[in-house]
Amino acid sequence: MEQDVLLRMVDISKSFPGVKALDKVSLEVKKGTVHALMGENGAGKSTLMKCLFGIYSKDEGHIYLNGKEINFKSSREALDNGVAMVHQELNQALKRNVMDNIWLGRYPKIGGIAVNEKKMYDDTMAVFRELGIDVDPKRIMSTMPVSQRQMVEIAKAVSYNSKVIVFDEPTSSLTEEEVEHLFQIINMLRDRGVGIIYISHKMAEIKRISDYITVMRDGQWIATEPADKLEMSDIIRLMVGRELTNQYPPKTNKPGEVYLEVKHLSGTYNQLQDVSFCARRGEVLGLAGLDSSGRTETLESIFGIRTRKSGKIYLDGREIRNHSAGESIKNGFALLTEERRSTGIFSILNIRDNTVISSLKRHKKFGVYLSEKSQREDTQRYIDAMHTKTPSQETKIRSLSGGNQQKVIIGRWLLTEPDVLLLDEPTRGIDVGAKYEIYQLILDLANQGKTVIMVSSEMPELLGVCDRIVVMSGGRVAGEVDARNTTQEEIMTLAAKYV
Amino acid sequence: MEENRTQGQEVPKFRGLYRYVHISVKALDAIIIACVAVIILVTLFSLRDAGYRVTFDSRGGTDVAAEKYQYGDHIQLPEPPTREGYTFGGWYLDTACNEPLTEAHTVGAELTLYAKWIPTS
Amino acid sequence: MINPVKNIQRSAQEYKLLDAKDKKRYWMDGILNNALYILMAIFVICTAILRPRFLTLDSLGNLISQVAAYLPLALGIGGCIVLTGTDLSAGRVTGLTAAISAVLLQESGLSNKMFNSLPAVNPGMIFLALLAVAAIGALIGMVNGFFVAKFSLHPFIVTLATQLLTTGVILWFFDLNGNNGQPISGQDQMYKDFVGGELFRMGRTPIPMYVLYAILLTALMWFIWNKTTFGKNMFAVGSNTEAARVSGVNVFWTIVLVHTLAGAMYGYAGFIDGVRAGSVSSVSGMNAECDAIAACVIGGVSFVGGTGKISGIVLGVLILRIIFVALTMLGVSPAALYIIKGAIILCACSLDMRKYLVKK
Repeated sequence: MEQDVLLRMVDISKSFPGVKALDKVSLEVKKGTVHALMGENGAGKSTLMKCLFGIYSKDEGHIYLNGKEINFKSSREALDNGVAMVHQELNQALKRNVMDNIWLGRYPKIGGIAVNEKKMYDDTMAVFRELGIDVDPKRIMSTMPVSQRQMVEIAKAVSYNSKVIVFDEPTSSLTEEEVEHLFQIINMLRDRGVGIIYISHKMAEIKRISDYITVMRDGQWIATEPADKLEMSDIIRLMVGRELTNQYPPKTNKPGEVYLEVKHLSGTYNQLQDVSFCARRGEVLGLAGLDSSGRTETLESIFGIRTRKSGKIYLDGREIRNHSAGESIKNGFALLTEERRSTGIFSILNIRDNTVISSLKRHKKFGVYLSEKSQREDTQRYIDAMHTKTPSQETKIRSLSGGNQQKVIIGRWLLTEPDVLLLDEPTRGIDVGAKYEIYQLILDLANQGKTVIMVSSEMPELLGVCDRIVVMSGGRVAGEVDARNTTQEEIMTLAAKYV
Repeated sequence: MEENRTQGQEVPKFRGLYRYVHISVKALDAIIIACVAVIILVTLFSLRDAGYRVTFDSRGGTDVAAEKYQYGDHIQLPEPPTREGYTFGGWYLDTACNEPLTEAHTVGAELTLYAKWIPTS
Repeated sequence: MINPVKNIQRSAQEYKLLDAKDKKRYWMDGILNNALYILMAIFVICTAILRPRFLTLDSLGNLISQVAAYLPLALGIGGCIVLTGTDLSAGRVTGLTAAISAVLLQESGLSNKMFNSLPAVNPGMIFLALLAVAAIGALIGMVNGFFVAKFSLHPFIVTLATQLLTTGVILWFFDLNGNNGQPISGQDQMYKDFVGGELFRMGRTPIPMYVLYAILLTALMWFIWNKTTFGKNMFAVGSNTEAARVSGVNVFWTIVLVHTLAGAMYGYAGFIDGVRAGSVSSVSGMNAECDAIAACVIGGVSFVGGTGKISGIVLGVLILRIIFVALTMLGVSPAALYIIKGAIILCACSLDMRKYLVKK
């Protein structure tokens, strides 16, 4: 079947100081196809896209759109030429309404001055109807969930009559249902002859949606194959360059007696309502649920960085307060937050400072002085233990890959010698190899008798790692299941209970 | 492979006060060059008229013209002013006549000197 | 450890591999990134030619005392900048504390002494006065810190308010006891000796005691920044407030303490300024924060937050002072001086920004 090539990127190279980020990468997107771009974090997918949109200037190579060579200077120019991107992190004017966002910078005008609100509204509705999106064009962006904002972004791309649309990790914050809707839209776009580049980590999605798969590794092109010719294991093999037989390490931990009890927890500024559950020593407890079902809020309330309206926390039968992070750390709690970039790492500081910040009192000498030597030792111990890949302790953490950053932060928490670890999406945005290491670590911790509570949106991950799973829905506990004999369907049913 | 994974892939983002800064390196370069140019031009311009004005406030006596000195110069005292019914008591740095102008004083800033008058009884 | 010689050799090799266009860019980058150093060099050379006195031991001594006088303010403000903030009240707090320490330590038996009931100056009183003005500065700093931390307001607004408040207090203070806004002078000889007493001579210029204090203070600040929990917390909060909160850092106290410490530094600076320039007037210390902020930014304490070194601040103050000593010697008019100061601050900010710009 001969289809015309819409976008052709040939031998693109790009270097940063000390790193060759792209090494002669080529990519062809045909009309009316979904082309998946895969690779571990740092494989060069995003860099390639940034070269396409002119966010980076490429060192070498050519880009052709419809056979004509192009060289965009900005994403705006790309958009005008029919190449659009739906970003992983949405850049939108949150205080403005939906249609303002869609027509921003090219408002329809009356007499060249006044903005034609009516035309804007009608045009927006036309696009929404076409895509089957049910959103009020006059709604303010910040009042809408991420999924709907993403739909608006897609509508914007369509309203530009885009010929090529790039989706960068579009499903990372969507629920299963929203993913379905997204796929419908993508399928429709494909039928209209749009070329789609789809970047994602999620293997199952890729298999479902894409026609072609290009795999990248370490800034190099590895393979491009029709999607139906590749098995999931082939893709993983191509991505990591080795066989990955087991996705989850064997479970060896033995849950003991009840250690942490949470009773009737309700939040002041959030939707939490009467959340109760308990966790045992040496147990991995999963918290499942849809987005904004209150999982993150539960962890943060327990850790004391969100205000509780009522509810009590018992540790080993003793009531504890946990009113601030400092107090919780003293009580043996640790919280790995969901948003690594905004609430996890100190991007400008080096690895050592990032590691020791929560356990500074270990290094105190003579009351005030902090020993450099013991900080260095602690940091090195955890770099070794976690197999963190870094040139030195003095390296700034922002230059590490997501997985290695996560390891540094886990190291930071382990140094506080916690008994209860609250892990919020511990494997989000981390590549396959590093995920396995983190699962192993979670099980090791449970084996040492620590209590681990883990929030995840990836159901198989919860089933593979946890002992029990508490399912949350609409800020309440919808039920509890045994991870060994439950199904994704059962969890999904519970998760939809109070929606 | 390890090299590639650990170094410089994530582009440092603007943080802190620069979170919302959108400016190209070229524009910044232009600003830097412009600032340096302003500094040099202003310096050159004001060099034509360089020096520090030393004003003599005769406070009721005959007028004494202000003079211009360069940094580190010693003040050459002008002809003492005169005033009927008073004797001139020297130049002082303050109005209360507590700090007299000494030989060692060198000019380092704009300066006003005040005359001291002793009534002839 | 990396061998520096090999490093240079390697970068020389890398340089040879660049093509003509890249070579040009390499030099342009080098020149632009070091624009202020080059500017300083130009000033030094020009001044040395026009005013031969500039390159003497005397003028070096003068430079050293100036650096020592301006350093405490910069060390204080540096902490606020690490927190991505700033402090506009610094200059006025210095002015207030200078006036207070000058009044507390006025010579006894002076005709225009403001408070006649104060006892004659003795060493204990000097020490007490130092503590008192440091405490007053710390108190104002604490007010700054409280509002910055609790209201999450930008420090620009909060410290602008305290700047005005302090100015009011200063004007009030100068009107006390029928002083009618007159400058305060006639500080006690013991106070003069304690601050400005001769340490040793450089050529014919005496090096005053406060140079020694500035060195001690710098060492103390280095210790606080690098070797204490408070210092580590300060950098963490400056780098990412939310992450710091999650990591168990008491963000509120860290912000309050940084501002309090800065305030204490201004208090100390006021104690020195109370006698350094002879008399203290109601405009003493006005706009001194601009110099301090510029020095910090030049010295690499970036507005991005969470970065900065004490050595950088010292270097920044030194560079700024060299430029200003040169300008003073050239005899540039005050009008020109203001324009140059403004341009230097803009230039320093652009340079700082350039360092953190995304490489395209």
